[in-house]
Amino acid sequence: MALMIVRRLGVFLLTVWVASLVVFFLLSVLPGDPARAQLGLDATEDQVQALREQLGVDRPLPVQYMEWVTGFFTGDMGISYASRAPVAPQVLDALQVSLLLVAGGILVALVIALPLGLLAAVRQNKPDGTLFSAVSQLGISVPNFLAGLLLIGVFAVTLSWFPSGGWAPPAAGADFLRHIALPALALGLVNGAILARYTRAAVLEVMREDFMRTARAKGMKPGTALLRHGLRNAMVPLITVTSIEFANLIIGAVVIETVFVVPGLGSNLVRAVGNRDLIMVQSIVMCVVVLVLLVNLLVDLLRPVIDPRLRSAT
Amino acid sequence: MRITRPQALTAALAISTLTLASCGAGDTAPAEEAGTEETGNSDASLAVGFAAVPANLDFTSTGGAAIFEALLYNTYEGLVRLGDDGTIEPLLAESWDISEDGLEYTFDLQEGVTFHDGSEFTAENVEFSLERLDEWTANAPENLEALESVEVVDEHTVTLHLSEPDYDVLFWLTGPEGAMFDPDSVDDLATEANGTGPFVFESYENAVEMSFSRNADYWGEQPDVAELSLLYYDDANSAANALRTGGVDALVRAEAYDQVDSFEDDEFTVQLGDSQGVVVVTLNSDSEGLSEVEVRQAISMAIDKESVLAASTSGYGTELGAPSVPTDPYYEDFSGTYAYDPEAAEQALEDAGYDDLSLTFTIPNRPYAEAAAQVIQDNLSDIGVEVTIESQEFPAVWIEESMTDRNFDLTVVNHVENRNMVNYGNPDHYWGYDSEEVREHFDDAESATDDDEHSAAMLAATEQIVEDVPGIWLYNPPNIVISRTGVDGLPQNDLGAGFDFSGVTVTE
Repeated sequence: MALMIVRRLGVFLLTVWVASLVVFFLLSVLPGDPARAQLGLDATEDQVQALREQLGVDRPLPVQYMEWVTGFFTGDMGISYASRAPVAPQVLDALQVSLLLVAGGILVALVIALPLGLLAAVRQNKPDGTLFSAVSQLGISVPNFLAGLLLIGVFAVTLSWFPSGGWAPPAAGADFLRHIALPALALGLVNGAILARYTRAAVLEVMREDFMRTARAKGMKPGTALLRHGLRNAMVPLITVTSIEFANLIIGAVVIETVFVVPGLGSNLVRAVGNRDLIMVQSIVMCVVVLVLLVNLLVDLLRPVIDPRLRSAT
Repeated sequence: MRITRPQALTAALAISTLTLASCGAGDTAPAEEAGTEETGNSDASLAVGFAAVPANLDFTSTGGAAIFEALLYNTYEGLVRLGDDGTIEPLLAESWDISEDGLEYTFDLQEGVTFHDGSEFTAENVEFSLERLDEWTANAPENLEALESVEVVDEHTVTLHLSEPDYDVLFWLTGPEGAMFDPDSVDDLATEANGTGPFVFESYENAVEMSFSRNADYWGEQPDVAELSLLYYDDANSAANALRTGGVDALVRAEAYDQVDSFEDDEFTVQLGDSQGVVVVTLNSDSEGLSEVEVRQAISMAIDKESVLAASTSGYGTELGAPSVPTDPYYEDFSGTYAYDPEAAEQALEDAGYDDLSLTFTIPNRPYAEAAAQVIQDNLSDIGVEVTIESQEFPAVWIEESMTDRNFDLTVVNHVENRNMVNYGNPDHYWGYDSEEVREHFDDAESATDDDEHSAAMLAATEQIVEDVPGIWLYNPPNIVISRTGVDGLPQNDLGAGFDFSGVTVTE
């Protein structure tokens, strides 16, 4: 067990390092000059060169990499080419917004997915089970921006229950809830449908297991057997899928962020790419990479806790 | 069912990030109006939605109009300003005199003007601000390159000495280049703004909201609204929704063209004004065929600008035929020259000996350009010209590939810089247009001593440019201002300077 943890940590650190190389050098070769992108259409070559020097983008890439990577891990991500302000606070602010939005989205998704998936599995081949499957299939095929536009149309423009966009921090209390409700719902509805499919598949798989038959043979009611033995086993793949969904959402929420004017990581990333604010792009991508790797590390470490069988296997 | 693989995820993430397209940066500029017709609520606040997002607050080192259209006239002021009809009006200068040779401009400054940090505005600030143009890297400081030195005559009088006459000096002083700064505040221009204007800059939450409060010590007439916030929307529909749901009181330069009609009711007011934009298709004269003026004229006659306008802006805006816009004092309508006539176009092309021309059309990945390009592709295919459209990320890739490397046969962009027609006098510009005659007309315009002389020279230049067809000027995009009822006095035109909100009243 201890060996497994050490090995996982080692892989984690190695992956972070390789990712930093990939992120930095791959993004550095994006076509388009960062200085020219800041100066616009009427800049002269001299003005572009002056800004290049000022931003430090005229230096050799390895020098820029060393400065960025050491800065990144000491919390100093440098100065944004576009806003000319320190990158770190901007990334952290956006990260906080994205994490809250994604957490809200996953919460909505789970609330939808678990009962829907469970019912679709248990009632398989029955009309209502098929209906649940169809509903989740329909949910998957709705792009989340469309869900967002529909929600805005109904709940913001027509009913005026929620604002059509914008953001308020959690400290704002009710205002925070009013602002996060629709974007979290838009994110959660579609991902809930996806998760429901996985839940259904996982539960179906578990129901065919020998131990479930044994449990029922012991006289346990099917429902109790499912809740006590089945769900716990189905949790393993579900947690894995949810963690992958998390990774998708943290950047994939960009469309929802644009539709709802939410200042999260996704919209900041798109804007930074557009401005060729490379240091911002690299820092955001690296933050997400580290975050995703951390979540995966946690899931890897958590699975043996949920499923004792995995302890000996590792 | 084991799926997790951190490395695979990481790679997928990096790749998906690389493929993300862009939004943001450079679009058009603005306008203004003063004078309130009715007394509004002095505690009122005003929230206005904008599309182009300021990257920071420093227009001296960051391109695009987004920054100065928010700050100029509201927080920063210059010696002069543009009225909503495009006339030059006094601002920090009460009056001015121009020497007969056109080489000296003497300004009498307003007295009792202070910056928001309390320091006094004097002739020293004019000297400091205009001499600092040498340090600017953005927003065309070279427009004032004729300015040789600034002489402080006394505390409230200043004389600008020019190296050669330039009739446009006053005009350029109405824009960002004319903004007056306090020497103690220029180190953090990107994050702070200390001016003399009617609104004190409070804060800027990047890409979300810029906040101002009324300047209680303003030297001129106090603005009617106590608080001003400018909110930024990358998406035109999100902006329209915000207006509908009360998130903002008004939108300037609204781009949800298909929704404009739906705001024409009792709850909202729609104003259609002009912008400074010139959407122009440039024909690369180094490309095969396009070096011949007859071919360029034929291509011009093949393009149906009415359809282009319908596709790009739902028909809002003004069809152009020359590189000047309706708010330019020397504007004349040339849309009838080399106008849509596909049969004549086909004949002209045949006469010139190019009946199987095939051209690459590079376009910025913006909706207006994509819509226009498709119409033009169709139009040109009607006269037997095959057009391949190549979309390029704007601004980064388009500026590099099309503008800097001139790697195109046809390209299109919305030029929003004021009076940028003068670039047809610069053979090094990406337009690649070189005409001694046009340069002479521009020189005549610069050395003009009155409006008529200036306009006549500019018009002569325009006529020559139109005749040579280095580009096809499609349309001038509209400045659509939509406000909720009760919000009055919003500027109608976008004049490429600041959007002045000091004259806006808000009731109810």
